[in-house]
Amino acid sequence: MKAHPETCDPTCVDAYLAESLGAREELEFLQHLERCSVCRDRIQKSAAEPSTWSEAEEFLRDRPFDSEFHRSVTQTAMESDRFEDGGDHEAAGDHEEDLHRTVVSAEIAQVLALLSPTDNPQMMGRLGGYEVSGVVGSGGMGVVLKAFDGPLDRTVAIKVLAPRLASSGAARRRFAREAKAAATVLHPNVIVIHGVSNDGPLPFLVMPYLRGESLQRRLNRLGPLSAEEVVRIAQQVASGLAAAHRQGLVHRDIKPANILLEDGVERVTLTDFGLARAVDDASMTRSGIIAGTPQYMSPEQARGDTVDARSDIFSLGSVMYAMCTGRPPFRAETSYGILRRITDTEPRPVRDVNPNIPDWLEYFIQRLLTKSLDDRIQNADHVAVLLQKCLSHLQQPSIAELPEECRTPIRRRVWWRSPRGRVRAAALAAFSCIAIAAIYAVSQINFIEHTSQLAGESSDKLGTNIHQSATPDGWDATQTEIDTFEADLTASEVDVRKLWQIQSDTKPP
Amino acid sequence: MVEEIPETRDSLLIRVADARDQVAWELFARLYRPVVYNVARMRGLQDADAQDVAQQVLIAVSRALPSWQRLNGATRFRHWLCRIARNATINALTRQPRDRAAGGESDLPDAIFREADTDLDSQLEREYRRQLFRRAAEVVRSRTDESTWQAFAMTMIDGIPIAEAAKRLQRSEAVVYAARSRIMRRLRDVVKELEEESDESSS
Repeated sequence: MKAHPETCDPTCVDAYLAESLGAREELEFLQHLERCSVCRDRIQKSAAEPSTWSEAEEFLRDRPFDSEFHRSVTQTAMESDRFEDGGDHEAAGDHEEDLHRTVVSAEIAQVLALLSPTDNPQMMGRLGGYEVSGVVGSGGMGVVLKAFDGPLDRTVAIKVLAPRLASSGAARRRFAREAKAAATVLHPNVIVIHGVSNDGPLPFLVMPYLRGESLQRRLNRLGPLSAEEVVRIAQQVASGLAAAHRQGLVHRDIKPANILLEDGVERVTLTDFGLARAVDDASMTRSGIIAGTPQYMSPEQARGDTVDARSDIFSLGSVMYAMCTGRPPFRAETSYGILRRITDTEPRPVRDVNPNIPDWLEYFIQRLLTKSLDDRIQNADHVAVLLQKCLSHLQQPSIAELPEECRTPIRRRVWWRSPRGRVRAAALAAFSCIAIAAIYAVSQINFIEHTSQLAGESSDKLGTNIHQSATPDGWDATQTEIDTFEADLTASEVDVRKLWQIQSDTKPP
Repeated sequence: MVEEIPETRDSLLIRVADARDQVAWELFARLYRPVVYNVARMRGLQDADAQDVAQQVLIAVSRALPSWQRLNGATRFRHWLCRIARNATINALTRQPRDRAAGGESDLPDAIFREADTDLDSQLEREYRRQLFRRAAEVVRSRTDESTWQAFAMTMIDGIPIAEAAKRLQRSEAVVYAARSRIMRRLRDVVKELEEESDESSS
């Protein structure tokens, strides 16, 4: 793939377009391009078909009313830019960000407009009995406010159902029902629900205000985590899930943004339990707004099938994958592309992206990311127990063994798919060929030795007759000889088989 | 503004069971609003009227959504959407003249709209493709550094010759060639993905 400035290398053109050249190769290629008009032509031709070039030229050029339409849309976006977006959401791609921000900001404004007035000049308004002091962020389902609970003298976070969802009676009822169900889950890794209100214009629920950051932010900030951190966080998420599943509650929206890390990674808190369902009901959806990211959905969710606790287990697998690699397993430019990847494709092996992850962890994640429901690890409790043992193993490899179930079975590992593996596989294949050939050769020699005694006589006869058959008259005679030889050979084969039989019978087992 | 009319929100709330169909609908709705708007403008409507027509069409389509059902995979969701949208567009456009503001080009006779309907399909299809490209361009631009994008935009959109663009960007011509080709490749790929997104939604 080396691009010498003087010579043309068409593979370089493709590699440049596919963005797979290294920095130095790219520079060399550009230097070549300076001198070579052939390659300048070539790169344009291979970038896209001529018809696509001209379509782009025509369609991207503004007509007067294109800009008019565009202006009215961007204006709205700019007006609402002054609102700070909490970053609690991730749209499928950056391109959805702007539109998302427009809606989100409008939503925050709507929520704030609905607060009751307060006497305290430091506060933004009142909601229920709480003094609202600020906006924490906003997500697919609503806006999170920071507020002060006067009587109990504590700071709380209030999650307000988005006004667009609050207008649907069914969504409100479901919001309240799910929030109440979530409130019954008492577990150190599941966020406590202090209260639920469904009476006012804005349904909301009250939670402790936690200091720390979401796993999403941590990943954005620091990239992939170490194997030990991955297992520790996943273990806590799994035990939180197990507690909820025992109450019959499915989270449905396990993703890094819903996993809060307090005090470093020592304690993990799971938020937004069951609320995804309330959103699903109501947010089906006006043009352009995708409620949250589908990146961590399970295949059954992506297909719109019914969902049970095992869906959360798949999503946990996706979150573990993201912790190991810094990015979600199924990615595409668009939401639909993501959903299709989730249902139809296998993600790139974890260790291809991050070789520091041990192979058993890659295998573990694979077992959670199984498309077939029945082949997945079936319950969160079991996941939590296994991960606890894995964690001990990571911390004290000499004392704590990896649980049997977590060891990578040789047969099921798809190591030959990885680039390193491919080289090894090729080498192994070549070696096997040679070995088989050698064994075959040796066995042939043995076979010939054994059979030559038995068949020696008849083959000698055949040899002499073949010489004679050089003349047409000899053909018939030769044919007869061949038939006789075949009969003899069959007889000698039977003998050989008998010989084998005797040998294997007499051999000690 | 047109994206932010609160009272229309509820009428656009819909129920599509399949998450893929839902996403396909969202993409479709986002692309199709400017499609209808543009066709309406090309037929002489003014900005506000064209916005109204687009809104009417989307509402009509969203009302029809609950009736969507997969018929042994024969009908694709996007095709179905397009058909509904086309009918809605014809309805909206042929009804439009009576409601339209006076003045400007607005006093064309109704007949023009009906006669031209034979072209409507190709016009809608073409505008749909235009929106695919424009949307793809947004995607690509958001992921590209500004100078690479400019090499493409100056030469392709603003019609500036490559030599001139290179001078303005203070880059060599070869870099402009390379940059705009790379953008073109990405654009082509994203257009393809968006097409699949809407075409294969009911596979």
